[in-house]
Amino acid sequence: MTLWTHYHTPSSLAEAHALLQSYAGRARVIAGGTDLLLDIRHGHLTPPEALIDITKIPEMCSLIQEGDDLVIGAGVTHTRIVTDALIAARATCLVESCGVVGGPQVRNVGTLGGNVAHALPAGDGTTSLVALDAWADVIVRDERRWLPIRELFLGPGQSLLDPTRDLLVRFRIPLAQEREGSAFKRIMRPQGVALPILGCAAWVRLDSSGERCEDIRLCIGPVDRVPVRAEQVEAAVRGQPIDPATVDAAVAAGRTSLSPRTSKYRATASYRQEMIDVLLRRVLPLAAERARTGQAVPEGVGME
Amino acid sequence: MEDRPAWIGRSLHRVDAVGKVTGKTPFPGDIDLEGQLWMKIRFSDRVHARIKSIDTSRAEAYPGVIRVFTARDVPVNEYGLGIPDQPVLCGPGSGKEGADIVRCIADQVALVVAETEEAAAAALPLIEIEYEDLPAVCDVLAAMQDGAPQLHAGYPNNILCHYQIRHGDIEAGWRQAEVVVEGEYRTGYQEHAYLQPEAGLGFIDEEGRVAVIVAGQWVHKDREQVAHALGLPEEQIRIIYPAIGGAFGGREDMSVQIVLALAAWKLQRPVKIIWSREESIIGHHKRHPTIIRAKWGATRDGRVVAAEATIIGDSGAYAYTTPKVMGNAHLMVCGPYAIPNAKVDTYGVYTNNIPSGAFRGFGGPQACFAAEGQMNKLADALGMDPVELRLRNVLRDDSITVVGTPLPPNVTLDKVLAEGAAQSGYWNQGADGWRRAPAPPPSGPNRRRGIGVAIGFKNVGFSFGAPEQNWATVEIHGNAEIERVVVRQAGADVGQGAHTVFRQMAAEGVGVPIELVELVGHDTAATGNSGSSSASRMTFMAGNAIKGAAELALQKWREEERPAIATYQYVPPKTTPYDRETGRSNPNFAYGYMAQIADVEVDVETGHITVMRVISAHDVGKAINPQLIVGQVEGAVVQAVGYAVMENLISQDGRILNPYLSTYLIPTVLDIPHEVKPVILEYADPRGPWGARGMAEMPFITLAPAVAAALHDATGIWFDQIPLTPERVVMTLRQHGIDAL
Repeated sequence: MTLWTHYHTPSSLAEAHALLQSYAGRARVIAGGTDLLLDIRHGHLTPPEALIDITKIPEMCSLIQEGDDLVIGAGVTHTRIVTDALIAARATCLVESCGVVGGPQVRNVGTLGGNVAHALPAGDGTTSLVALDAWADVIVRDERRWLPIRELFLGPGQSLLDPTRDLLVRFRIPLAQEREGSAFKRIMRPQGVALPILGCAAWVRLDSSGERCEDIRLCIGPVDRVPVRAEQVEAAVRGQPIDPATVDAAVAAGRTSLSPRTSKYRATASYRQEMIDVLLRRVLPLAAERARTGQAVPEGVGME
Repeated sequence: MEDRPAWIGRSLHRVDAVGKVTGKTPFPGDIDLEGQLWMKIRFSDRVHARIKSIDTSRAEAYPGVIRVFTARDVPVNEYGLGIPDQPVLCGPGSGKEGADIVRCIADQVALVVAETEEAAAAALPLIEIEYEDLPAVCDVLAAMQDGAPQLHAGYPNNILCHYQIRHGDIEAGWRQAEVVVEGEYRTGYQEHAYLQPEAGLGFIDEEGRVAVIVAGQWVHKDREQVAHALGLPEEQIRIIYPAIGGAFGGREDMSVQIVLALAAWKLQRPVKIIWSREESIIGHHKRHPTIIRAKWGATRDGRVVAAEATIIGDSGAYAYTTPKVMGNAHLMVCGPYAIPNAKVDTYGVYTNNIPSGAFRGFGGPQACFAAEGQMNKLADALGMDPVELRLRNVLRDDSITVVGTPLPPNVTLDKVLAEGAAQSGYWNQGADGWRRAPAPPPSGPNRRRGIGVAIGFKNVGFSFGAPEQNWATVEIHGNAEIERVVVRQAGADVGQGAHTVFRQMAAEGVGVPIELVELVGHDTAATGNSGSSSASRMTFMAGNAIKGAAELALQKWREEERPAIATYQYVPPKTTPYDRETGRSNPNFAYGYMAQIADVEVDVETGHITVMRVISAHDVGKAINPQLIVGQVEGAVVQAVGYAVMENLISQDGRILNPYLSTYLIPTVLDIPHEVKPVILEYADPRGPWGARGMAEMPFITLAPAVAAALHDATGIWFDQIPLTPERVVMTLRQHGIDAL
């Protein structure tokens, strides 16, 4: 089976952009290809004439700390994220989510940008980026700009980016400060060649006393057509001490405000609803504990 | 000759190891011939429909397409391992009655042969098929009802086979019973998921024969079926297996063999096909889903006095090996126990689902899940240790089975169970019998841990009066000294290492260094009929044949024949079919015996099961190559963990919803047990070569009930349905009040 006819590895953004323009819709961006090539092979996608591989563009493969922010190129692999000590310490949920993507081979090749661009409602990396309030540097309709990550997603597998002409360049995430911490957990078997049943990322900031939750961002998926924040659950926790009573309140808010769907062969809605409870009970105390202690050791990453 | 065997019992490296590891060994899909064409198969779009017409004109006009074949091109449009109930190609015009009907989505309708695979694939959807839908029945219980759509003439209520056992006096048994346990067990589909999807190459060989290079389990049976469908004498067909990328029963029935032969014969050019994973999952049969109702009774002192069971197996749209698989389940559903009163009814039922057929264990895993579930429930109800209870009931040399006859000599179930239990570290034998230590602590607060045991027996070789034999030829070449030994043996090396042990047994039989032994393997043009690589039979059967041929050849060698060539057919003791009323029979000539202990953790919040340890005890008679036996044990246990815990093939209205390995989940390295401990015992089978018994299916069969028992030990709940997916486990736990909190 012919998956593509031409394969380009541009070395600059301008070159990549020009290539996409020259193919006028007949080329697609590839950033690892662990999803894309399967889609083509399974016939879900017509084989494009050309693939434009962006992983040789320096700007898209860099990890740069800028003050209290981290800028991550869209072509950075999951493995690089998982093995980065700074991300482990100060954006822990991202390491935990990238560390459970596929198996080692997939993580060595698959990229964070690819995960986001695929726009699945439960992309592991995506879930954590939403909880971290990431921004994305994109070239859309020939215009380069920064967007809040959530504005990228339009529907399952559908993003603002046209994969035949637009480019996802970088992400910017705030690194955890004092009294901030994050965690990610998901429900599925230990090693995934499959889509997760449910994933959950939480970012928490405690108040100056270290007792109460000053702010929280929580992303659970899939519960909607796009990755979403669990805002009512956040509201149940914000301003409260993260103790068993608050976790109960969060679970109750999850029960009333989140309605996961049944997917044919992965899970029923009722199992997912159960698992939202389980994830909230696991993730909230863990994120709060990390915020309190300033210590974070990623859990459940890769080969145990 | 020395007394101590030189080549038997040694863990020699596999002869195929280096080639496979380095990628040099060609599998069927790796082989190309000059001028070859490519085939793609159009499968049925409907689960049950009459094909009114097929228009191939647009497909044939597609650039690069050479020819489109339909039913009218097949000389004898039928095939089937036991019953020829499936058309080679479904559609009108073949002269075979009923061949215009598709009965499941695995039916093949048309073949496109083109210059390239891409052209064949592109032309496939251009074939226009006009269907007239027929009422379909995809539920096995509904299929048995009066008035259900009938799939095949002559099988009222779609009942393909029905067996009975009427042993002892069941009513008297119930009167004696002081404790009774019941269960309705359900087992799911399982996909073989072998590494190598179906592939092959048909061509005309140098002697003008229609030849097929393919991966199967029995070259001579493939030849017979191809010859039948093409209406040619068997001598004009040749089947060659190169390296085979796993089989597990999934290659017993035809997949690409007949259609490749047909196209190569009609076009007189090589024709190649490689199935995608999706085509493989849809295009070949699965393990039978079953519903098993069982009721067993015992006395207070732990003697099982009555067993009743009904097995209903979903055959899917065609017979395949269903009558034999269900026959096996029928025998095993009362467990390996001496039960004086038994009543069993077993049904194989046609539906519009994809066909079910052979898969490692061959009906044994389903029956054992029910039988051992019953035994574990009895132990619980009696307050008796499950090892102790089993030892009071297991079949021994002097026992009579529920089919009214004893097992072949040297029954070792008691020894296998005792050794397995002792070596597990969980059990010890005290003055008052066997006692178990508590399960180790679980690894987390939301987890519970338990231990479970199951035992079983499994036939070695064909059963119920089926013709059973194996041919081998041994050639001794040389003058004063033996320079070279050639063994001709067709037995398929499906990955289990048969070619290695054949050479070991030949070296032993002739008494020469193994380096002198050459094997001529699976090619119908060069070997005699070996029977299939199935039923854990190949070491036993080929071993006896090679041993016999070696003895004859040696005798000729001593009589100065040069080269000394001898051919020998091993024929085991006869078996008999079930009596229609009582089931009385001598079903098998040899058995393997096994016991497994599973140590299992369950996350009660998420329902995820982790199999921590499996102790797998087997009487293998004689371990010809111990390392290969360990490999079979580990591989079977992993495959069985998939069956018991993970693998969930979803069929809805006859269509498979998850025909990909990204949605049909099989174990990966992180899912497998943390430890598999094989306990290999060698109590000789007097009929086996050097005492060997078969063993390849046995470590699969007992795992699911051992896991279910461990789960009961951990949670107090019986799980009577597999696979034990997280969702099923959580929902069952919640129903019984075990909550995340």
